[in-house]
Amino acid sequence: MTTVERPRPIPNPPVAREDIVFSHPSEAEFARLLDFYDLDWRYEPMVFPLEWDENGAVTEAFTPDFYFVGQDFYVELTTMRQKLTRLKRHKIQRVQELYPEVRIRLWNRRDFERLMTKYGLGNKRAELVGQEALNNGNGGGKGNGQ
Amino acid sequence: MASSPMLDDLDQIIFDADAIQQAVNRLGAAISADYAGRSPLLVGALTGVVMFMADLLRAITIPVSVDFMAISRYAAAPRTGTVRITKDLDLPITDRHVLFVEDVVDTGLTSDYLLRTLRTRHPASLKVCTLFQRPYLRLLEVPIDYVGLSLPDQFVVGYGLDADEYYRNLPFVATLKPGIRSE
Repeated sequence: MTTVERPRPIPNPPVAREDIVFSHPSEAEFARLLDFYDLDWRYEPMVFPLEWDENGAVTEAFTPDFYFVGQDFYVELTTMRQKLTRLKRHKIQRVQELYPEVRIRLWNRRDFERLMTKYGLGNKRAELVGQEALNNGNGGGKGNGQ
Repeated sequence: MASSPMLDDLDQIIFDADAIQQAVNRLGAAISADYAGRSPLLVGALTGVVMFMADLLRAITIPVSVDFMAISRYAAAPRTGTVRITKDLDLPITDRHVLFVEDVVDTGLTSDYLLRTLRTRHPASLKVCTLFQRPYLRLLEVPIDYVGLSLPDQFVVGYGLDADEYYRNLPFVATLKPGIRSE
């Protein structure tokens, strides 16, 4: 009889708030919004393996951007091009197949733009959204986002 | 409203005054029935709630009291700032049955913050009533007990909802013409 082992997420080492390097300016703005509302959140705290080779080594994984501690759910934020959004949607679907207890939501460019409008940041689109924001020199460092 | 210059800025009416009043009356009746024998305190989150609160109070048929809170706005905050209560309650809520009233719940961030604040003051019960909701914008789960109408995925103004603090005084909810407000 073969025992099927359930996959397990891999925790990333904790990073202090001031040491976090966001991979995109939209993530930094999103984090400021969460701080403003005094929410307990983590940035890329967990890696979810999605594919393994024959030796059991992880060949594909997904690391959601934000984890809401009090609400126990993840948000993946992407304001980049549509092709990348489709890829992330596919990965999230795979996470939910392998880890059905995990709640995760994709916030795409349109969601983020609606958020900006709501919070009076509509005039900062070029600084915060998509490849344009990175081209404008607002890029953060290397994050773990995949 | 027939000759209001605001009408020139509007594109499409989403909920007319009758539809809104029907929703308010339905909420008022439900709250009156559920809180019969108690005297709840309605707490509104300024500023957009004022029109709804005024109409809701008149649609409720049991004794109630009312108070308001306000918090600072994100866009106006320092880059490292946190939310501040700019207007606190005047009435104590400990052991009171509190009904938190919002004009709209969308991301849930504001509601969640204010509900956390209210819970620390130990009300006897705490429920949530909103006239409008935008579930597609929900980031945090907010336990909504009474909801009036769901807004479409469009930027709308009126009946408390604003664009740069204007249009709140429209008696209906409408979209703006393209170019009136940059999104």
